[in-house]
Amino acid sequence: MQQRRILDEFTVNHELLRGNLATPKWWLPTVLGLLVVVLFGFTLMGIMFNRGLGVTGLSRPVYWGLFITTFVFWVGISHAGIMISAILRLTQAEWRRPVTRAAELLTVFSLLTALFFPLIHAGRPWRIFYWITPYDFARGIFPNARSPLVWDPFAIGTYLTGSTLFLYVALLPDLGVLRDRTTGWKRAFYTVASLGWRGNPRQWRLQTVAGILLSALMLPIFVSVHSIVSWDFAVTPAVEGWHSTVFAPYFVVGAVHSGVSAVVTMMALMRWLWGWDNYIRPEHFDALARLLIVVACAWLALTFAELIFGVYSLEAPERALREMQMFEWPWNLLFIIFFLTGFAIPVPLWFFKRVRNNIAMMFWTSILVNIGMWLERFLIIVPGLSRKQPFVFTWDSYQVSPLEWGLLLWSFAWVMMLMLLFSKFFPLIPLFETKESQVFTTDVQIGRVTMPAVIRELD
Amino acid sequence: MAASNSVLGLYDTPNAGADAMDGLKSAGFELGTFDVLTGTPYPEGAFGEYVPQHRLFRFPFFGAMVGITLAILFTAGTQLAYPVITGGKPILAVFAMLIIAYELTMLGAVVATVVGIIFESRLPNLNLGAYDTRITEGYIGVVVECEDDRLEEARGVLQTAGALEIKTA
Amino acid sequence: MATTSLITDAPDHRPSNIESTALLAGEGRTAAGTGLKRFMWLLAALSVIGFVGIVFRFINDDGRQDWGFYAATLAWMLTIFGGAPMVAIAPALAKADWVRPVARIASLGAIVTAIIALLMIPLLFKFPALTQFSEVLGDDVRRRSIWFDSPSYAPHFWNVLILLTLALVGMAMAYVMAIPDFAAIRDHGTGWKQRWGKKLARGFYGRQQQWEWLKMRIGITGALYFAMLLYTNFTFSLDFAVSLVPGWKDSLFPFYHTITTFQAGIAFTIIGVWAARRWGGMNKYVGHEQMWSLGKFMLATTLLWFYFFYSSFIVFWYGRSDSDSATIKLLVSGPYIYLFWTVFFLVFIIPWWIMIWNKVRDSVWGPPIAAFIILFGLFLDRIRIYVSSWSAVPDDLELATTSILQDMPDTMWPDVFDVFIMVGLPALGLLSILLVTRLVPLVSLWEIQQSRLITKPVRFLRSHVQLVGKPD
Repeated sequence: MQQRRILDEFTVNHELLRGNLATPKWWLPTVLGLLVVVLFGFTLMGIMFNRGLGVTGLSRPVYWGLFITTFVFWVGISHAGIMISAILRLTQAEWRRPVTRAAELLTVFSLLTALFFPLIHAGRPWRIFYWITPYDFARGIFPNARSPLVWDPFAIGTYLTGSTLFLYVALLPDLGVLRDRTTGWKRAFYTVASLGWRGNPRQWRLQTVAGILLSALMLPIFVSVHSIVSWDFAVTPAVEGWHSTVFAPYFVVGAVHSGVSAVVTMMALMRWLWGWDNYIRPEHFDALARLLIVVACAWLALTFAELIFGVYSLEAPERALREMQMFEWPWNLLFIIFFLTGFAIPVPLWFFKRVRNNIAMMFWTSILVNIGMWLERFLIIVPGLSRKQPFVFTWDSYQVSPLEWGLLLWSFAWVMMLMLLFSKFFPLIPLFETKESQVFTTDVQIGRVTMPAVIRELD
Repeated sequence: MAASNSVLGLYDTPNAGADAMDGLKSAGFELGTFDVLTGTPYPEGAFGEYVPQHRLFRFPFFGAMVGITLAILFTAGTQLAYPVITGGKPILAVFAMLIIAYELTMLGAVVATVVGIIFESRLPNLNLGAYDTRITEGYIGVVVECEDDRLEEARGVLQTAGALEIKTA
Repeated sequence: MATTSLITDAPDHRPSNIESTALLAGEGRTAAGTGLKRFMWLLAALSVIGFVGIVFRFINDDGRQDWGFYAATLAWMLTIFGGAPMVAIAPALAKADWVRPVARIASLGAIVTAIIALLMIPLLFKFPALTQFSEVLGDDVRRRSIWFDSPSYAPHFWNVLILLTLALVGMAMAYVMAIPDFAAIRDHGTGWKQRWGKKLARGFYGRQQQWEWLKMRIGITGALYFAMLLYTNFTFSLDFAVSLVPGWKDSLFPFYHTITTFQAGIAFTIIGVWAARRWGGMNKYVGHEQMWSLGKFMLATTLLWFYFFYSSFIVFWYGRSDSDSATIKLLVSGPYIYLFWTVFFLVFIIPWWIMIWNKVRDSVWGPPIAAFIILFGLFLDRIRIYVSSWSAVPDDLELATTSILQDMPDTMWPDVFDVFIMVGLPALGLLSILLVTRLVPLVSLWEIQQSRLITKPVRFLRSHVQLVGKPD
């Protein structure tokens, strides 16, 4: 499994700063193409603010549809960063090194994207100011601390702030490298951004301590964020299929499942686009696939619990909902696709070492997982709402409008564009972590066997 | 009072850097006046360096206290300012306040920790003193802070250890 | 520059292989001292008292509610002894080196699961069938359960089968993990230990193929045990608690039960490690590194206890439907309110406050203190859950199959036979482990030797570090 390359610092700098010190040919056309989609998305938002939420497919009783599904989806994707960065840092897993920054970045940008959806969903987002800040109670709008919808901004805001700060702190040594490798206005920018990083033992020691301490602080936040998002649904008994205690860990584990899959997708793209074969190797995909198997099995157990308790109560409305979800058109087709893409196709494939070490296979299976996970959120939210009130004057079920599809597309383009813009100015693979791995790994001879070894500091 | 100088010796191998640190120690330079600069973290003590204790762990506690105070003020304040009973829950709903209190506590802890990290790293300090950009390419820098009267001695020790270049600032 | 050129050898003060083998396999601490023998006789006496308690429980029995403490005790034993082997499996799957000295202590918990499976049989006589009310309400009326339309005694059958399977897999795993040490006992032991070592080693001589076979068997039994443990927690918690209470619908509860199983397993292992150091002479083999790593996991599971509890609680509290409110009242704010708060402090607040301090976590005395508190707290937690569930028998049977608990039971206090059971059955579990350790070394000798092979202290420039090999 170990495929270590011995690389000196000069080579590491040269290869990993390729995208920062020079611009790859594909970069600008890609960013411009994504920008077009992003601007199109902002135009759609403008149309919606101008004409009202009626341009979407939302209507009684389905008041939460694609926007909230996508909101939950992107919050889910954001869980990759801390899972990989924090947990693997605390367990001292060597294979995390090339992945951590890109995963943390995905966290930050996917959270930013997720935040857009409840804001635009309000119809008049500028009024949200009154709803989460204790200002001007005379209007009759005030933060209701008892509502999960107010818990959400606190949770996501905390997670976003923490992740951004975590990203920045870990970026300091690399900003120092960029300061030393650039001239002119770029050098001035990196000098200020690096805060004067020199690389003395005090600073390195604090980097290590910072990594561990911030990881330990961020982990409880990571668990709490998606739990709080899940309580938007779970706490209300009014909607069939929602009032279930398992939602909190179910959403968290599902988020890890989709988030880590998104990291796999991203790592494959990074290897292909920037040619980082020395740094992103099949062993990393192998390790991620093993992690995904464990997470996917946990997700399956929680899905099973959620479904079985749906019918456990033997209450007619809940049973009717589950029958609709699994056996009635078009939900049955979506259910089958959700299960196949989320678990039944990728996970058995990951049991084979050939698949785990095949980067193309890992790329496509990770995309399948995220299709399945988006559908999972859709199937949780919409069917329950559509059965919420037995007597409604509208007999149509929820139809997703072209505008909503457009904004879904916008969200993917927005995240990808932000990642590419970041990659132009900052290295996607942490230089100091890669160099640290060169120092802290070596080979050791035991009998006739030469085996990889790591150096562990004694307390 | 004699002017303070910053002298940097640049080495191409970690062994030479460690030898320079040993030389400075033997020459009687005070611990804390000389340091090693590297482009990658090495195991603690690899160069025989002195790293004073940090007090980073105090920062998260302070931040957490601030966070929880703000949270209680916000949640209790808003609920008491507009005491509307929603969903049969009490006006001061402790179990709901707990969630916002938890989030703001953790936010306070994280922000304070980051401030602490930057502070304890003695940053920001945009004046790098004696420094060489080759340090981030794998060279080892050994830097000494000394008065004018020991400047030549410091340069001599660094040169004896095999410095490729010596810079003064 | 390649790191290899910066590394030089350093003095190695760890126990040599020869000393380890002689000490652990043949002589020394596996021989029971007077103190240990007295303690084992005490446990035996308590076990007898436990059986007396069971007999008198059968004789003095006013209904299902009198068996709540018995169910709670079994649940607690399953939690501790069933969860302990996970400490041996999970870090080993993650290729952690620190777990090697403690894997044996952890895996010994599996032995008790067989005893739990047998002890469940008396309970099954009192456990109601799914159609318990058919005589009064008609054949179609069944208690709500995860078995839906299965035969009436499906829970009885499946729970015994699952628990027996767990026991079998657990004992197989513990046995396979000990085979090389049995070989060492065969080669260096004397008397009855040497004879038993030979029988149990089954021709293991350390050939390459035998080692490959061993690794594979450990992996398979470990993975199977993990799956069976989850399944056991799922069915046991739902059948013996949730489905007995009308209106208690809690999809998270089996996972809550599972996470407390891990928490208890880690606590048990920490106490075992402490005892091995204190009385077993294993100071050189298990130290603060093991305590620190186990302590971190115990802190994590302690936090997860609160997370799982709160996730259920907030859904019930916010929902406020009749069944939600009744569930909260039964388990938290009603007849067991004082017990609940005691549990809250013992399982969460106090251990959390002890373990968040680095100096305490990184010591050999801190984690055991927290572990003892946690185990006692979890015992009270099982009483809170199972005693309340077994006593939730509605006076009006019509209400037994509805979705709301309307008759809140009174607080049940243990009588003298319950006390006999609560003291005697865990004593029996502990006694069985101590009996096994008469033959099996307290620490895994071959794993420590393997660790010694692939790790060594070295010098890196001017610092002292440890080199840890990473075989695939």
